[in-house]
Amino acid sequence: MATAPKRQTITNHFLLNVAIVELTKVTKRYGNVLAVENFDLTTKNGEFVVLVGPSGCGKTTTMRMIAGLETVSEGEIKIGGKNVVGMIPRERDVAMVFQNYALFPHMNVFGNMSFGLRLRKLPKEKVESRVKEAATILGIAHLLDRRPKELSGGERQRVALGRAIVREPQVFLMDEPLSNIDAKLRVEMRAEIIKLQRRLGVTTFYVTHDQVEALSMGDRIVVMSKGHVQQIGTPKELYNTPANRFVAGFIGSPSMNFILTKVVEGGTLTAGDNFKIVLPPPMATALETRGLREVWLGVRPEHIRTARNGEAENAIPGVVDVVEPQGASTILQVNVGSDLKVIVQVNEQWGREAGERLRLSIPAESIHLFDPATEQQVSN
Amino acid sequence: MENLLWRNSKWGSKLVAMAIACVALVWVAIPFLWAFNNSIKTEADTFRQGAVIPFLQFTPSLDAWKFVLSDPQALNCLFSSALVGVGTTLFVLILGTPAAYSLARFEFKRMKSRDITLWFLSQRVLPPVVVLTPFYILLAELGLIDTWLGLILLYSTFNLAFCVVIMRDIFRDVSKEVEEAARIEGASLWQIFWMIAVPLSLDGLIVTAFIVFAFCWNEALFASAVTSQHAATMPAFILASRSTRGVDFNQAAVNTLVAIAPPVIMSFFVQRYLARGLSFGAVKG
Repeated sequence: MATAPKRQTITNHFLLNVAIVELTKVTKRYGNVLAVENFDLTTKNGEFVVLVGPSGCGKTTTMRMIAGLETVSEGEIKIGGKNVVGMIPRERDVAMVFQNYALFPHMNVFGNMSFGLRLRKLPKEKVESRVKEAATILGIAHLLDRRPKELSGGERQRVALGRAIVREPQVFLMDEPLSNIDAKLRVEMRAEIIKLQRRLGVTTFYVTHDQVEALSMGDRIVVMSKGHVQQIGTPKELYNTPANRFVAGFIGSPSMNFILTKVVEGGTLTAGDNFKIVLPPPMATALETRGLREVWLGVRPEHIRTARNGEAENAIPGVVDVVEPQGASTILQVNVGSDLKVIVQVNEQWGREAGERLRLSIPAESIHLFDPATEQQVSN
Repeated sequence: MENLLWRNSKWGSKLVAMAIACVALVWVAIPFLWAFNNSIKTEADTFRQGAVIPFLQFTPSLDAWKFVLSDPQALNCLFSSALVGVGTTLFVLILGTPAAYSLARFEFKRMKSRDITLWFLSQRVLPPVVVLTPFYILLAELGLIDTWLGLILLYSTFNLAFCVVIMRDIFRDVSKEVEEAARIEGASLWQIFWMIAVPLSLDGLIVTAFIVFAFCWNEALFASAVTSQHAATMPAFILASRSTRGVDFNQAAVNTLVAIAPPVIMSFFVQRYLARGLSFGAVKG
């Protein structure tokens, strides 16, 4: 087993392996196809890192490179200060939870959970006590004799987690572990995984395509698209200060509104017939120094306010086109010009109707500006 | 289990289907009935016209059975068949299963594994009689004519290709994720093969073994050509049982039934796997 920089006792058996994972300019090519390029990241101790992005963005490939299931074309991966490129998975001391659980169908739960320990020729009593302890933590101690096919989806998931934690690895890797579970259980398991990870304190990489999952679970989130890292940050940073238009559109639901606006002197943006907004001075200066003629205005649906008559100086007149009640809130599609539409989320349950006229106001602090050419944030 | 397709079919089509099934059954069963009927006749009765229904038209006798089952030559051939069959099956599985697994899982640099598999398959397309003479000469040079080892080597060359092609397909159905999970858990290539891939392909493995065994058990052409006394198998024995007086039909019938029995009995045991295994993983759940 590799030497971890710091070990800390949690329970009798569970030693806390804390390892920093460093990825330096990690690149993966399949022939001419670039799957991941120049991935740079250094984790903190026991950090929960979520890799998120649309399918084909390279997040799973990145995780598989850390696991040793995929070779690295270029770059370096260090686990606990040791370069693991070229090492087989066994030498890396990582554990992985797969999307389809990947339990061994011909072994019972005990067999599945003890597989790695038995391969490492641990004494029998030690194997048993460790498996029992992990099973108790996960609430599956009564299932040890069952075969995977006799278990429910949630139970299988727990066994897969159990198989991962029982070996006390330095790093957990989880590849969309919740995507095959129904919605209600998914929310429960999400909370359980977070609790488990906090309790064990093992550095964890978690792959998902679901931005809600990413926001709710990650200490830090890596947003990827087309093989490139778009932004790395805390959930709050990604939500409040997206680095580019992709991240802005990907994080948050419903998605951010993007309006291509003309820059008029004095920091005023216009679009269509009656969309007009005056920027606060710092943003206006930022645009001026960059000399942009056009700019993408981004604003989240939940940040747009409906203004009462005469209120708010930045008010934009609009007509409600479609009303989508969500229960606690309502999503409105509002026409603010001949072919300009914005999505607005209002904290009202009911009472909106299609055809209703209203005035929208956009608070200055919720405005995001993106360069049309580079798609990078230019708000400040 | 209720079959909706059957229940919703019209009377007429059910009748046709039943009729076809009956014809097929009779078609298959008649040779067996003939053989059984002849096995309990005396030699004279086998040639007498109108001796068809036992007890009514002829008196059944166990003479032929007694004769064959106490004939050391027949018993020796039965033993040869079993030994060669089991030996070939083991040899083919030991060599063919790892080969099939590597073709299922790895890509080779020079040749694609699909092409290699196709090459294996091509070995089965060749009419076996074409290689009869070369094989005879080869075995003769090695001093393996009329030996069990010679037959095992001979049969293995035919069946290895079959085993590799079939087992490759079966191994390809084993979930890659499951094997990767084993790899992450620390299993080596051989450990994945033994502890994961083989147990998960057991159905297919049993069926393959059975088919290989049945092939060896039934093979007559090569067995007759390269054996004479010592290593002759049942089919060779049956072919050779024409004496100078012609064929002893009652003994031939007993020989046939004795030769057929082991694979039939085995098939009862492997039936459970046959249906699943023969679909080559198409319906694996």
